[in-house]
Amino acid sequence: MLLTPEVLTINILNLLFLIFASIAFYYSVKIVLKYDFNATTTLQYNLEKQSYLVAIIIKFIFYIKVLLFIFFIFTLDNISNILPGAMCGAGVVNATEYGNYLLILKIINLYIFAYWLVLNSEDMKSEKQIYLKLKFKVYIFAYFLLMLEIGLESMMFFSIDTKSVVDCCGSIFSTTDGTYMAQLLNIDPAILLSSFYAVFAFIIIAYILKNRYLFSLMNLLFAIVALVSLIAFFGTYIYELPTHHCPFCLLQKDYNYVGYFLYIFLFIGTFYGIVLGLISFNKEDENVKYKISLLFTTLYMFFVSYYPLSYYIKNGVWL
Amino acid sequence: MIKLQHVSKIYGKDIVALDDIDLSFNEGELVILKGVSGSGKSTILSLIAGLLKPTSGDVLVDNKHISKLPDHFCSQYRRDNIGFIFQKYNLIPTLSVKDNILLPLVPLNLDEDDLYAKLEAVTQMFSIEHKKEITVKNLSGGEQQRTAIARANVNNPKIILADEPTANLDEKLSKEFIQILKELKSLKKTIIVATHDPLFFDLDFVDRIVEIHNGKLDRKVACS
Repeated sequence: MLLTPEVLTINILNLLFLIFASIAFYYSVKIVLKYDFNATTTLQYNLEKQSYLVAIIIKFIFYIKVLLFIFFIFTLDNISNILPGAMCGAGVVNATEYGNYLLILKIINLYIFAYWLVLNSEDMKSEKQIYLKLKFKVYIFAYFLLMLEIGLESMMFFSIDTKSVVDCCGSIFSTTDGTYMAQLLNIDPAILLSSFYAVFAFIIIAYILKNRYLFSLMNLLFAIVALVSLIAFFGTYIYELPTHHCPFCLLQKDYNYVGYFLYIFLFIGTFYGIVLGLISFNKEDENVKYKISLLFTTLYMFFVSYYPLSYYIKNGVWL
Repeated sequence: MIKLQHVSKIYGKDIVALDDIDLSFNEGELVILKGVSGSGKSTILSLIAGLLKPTSGDVLVDNKHISKLPDHFCSQYRRDNIGFIFQKYNLIPTLSVKDNILLPLVPLNLDEDDLYAKLEAVTQMFSIEHKKEITVKNLSGGEQQRTAIARANVNNPKIILADEPTANLDEKLSKEFIQILKELKSLKKTIIVATHDPLFFDLDFVDRIVEIHNGKLDRKVACS
């Protein structure tokens, strides 16, 4: 079992999340089953008080969880220094059978937790708390995902053997070993780039049309296409190495921690875009969210586009 | 129009402050809630002000369910509709009269001209304009009372709630307060005073006296 200070911190926090999230889960079920806005009974007044308190507990858990994602990535990167063979977080993720599932689940949870936070904020703005039942239903669903995440995270850290040699990112993200990853990395760059810029163009069109559903859908697509194209194409220009496709090495000092910026831009941009299709905001809030989303996706687009362009300008050739 | 419908309030597990109360107050009415300490008068005021939620039942003000409002909306409702005069004034002793009076207006982000217009209006109305810059702890009881009344009125609320307003005043100052009440009534404000001070029970401008005993309405007396 691995116990670095970072892992210990994550485990202690997970224990606290487990306790408080379970308490919140119990009351959420009660609220979903028994809450009746029009009732003036003692039970209803108690539920109203409890719903406020429980929403605050969940809010704190999810705020911390969203921020903790960066800490988790940082921890993986740190652990790679003590794991034989690992050059970055990718080696740590692949060191156990749980790592990849955990990472995918964490990304999904990141969006779900952030969605709950926005839902809660909208609910609190409404005098009749129009999203109250929905937010607790979403929480009940999110609770199971959170528990699964905590379980996988604990098992991953528990299973890491610091004496075993693990694969480095070069072999995990290899284009020649016939895996799904290799197939993904071998997608024709022309198709990849066309998709990337086309989806971005559709985001702009959806913004001009003020079609929030199209905007939301395009942002969801953009999140996927952007990640794939980062790993398969843009990353190679950040590393200036055509065979290097690792999404973790970007987070290291050698590359000026550029990965943190890219991932944060991509998450904020696509999250605010996606959420526009899921929640009906007032006009003012809707505009703010459109602008935040567009600002960050545009920043991301310019940021990743800069690397191949500057490489081409400097060297006169593509990789 | 204020309505309390089947309102009960239980503190802790078994301290019954109000027991299935039905009570209503008309617009512009001045009502005295009469009863001994612990009878539930202050609880009624707190429920109307949205400071407390009932254990069961409903509190409506102009058909708005006050008891169902989330806390942050309660604060807004109070700011817009309620002027509360507390028994111990609840002023901030280290601030000046002016700052105490202007305090409820801070969240409204009014411009300076509006703020001072409101300040001037209430300090003149309650005769404390000459004490505006004085720190509250240096005021007499009567002046503190007038500052509290001015603060309760600075936002021109339509409902004034006064909880034992003369408990810390001598008879002369109590009569002064009663005179102020008369003026507020003439401004068509709904006024509810919780008191056991006998000075309030024979006033000709009081519309009703509601007597409360152990959390229940004892009887209602029409006065005018």
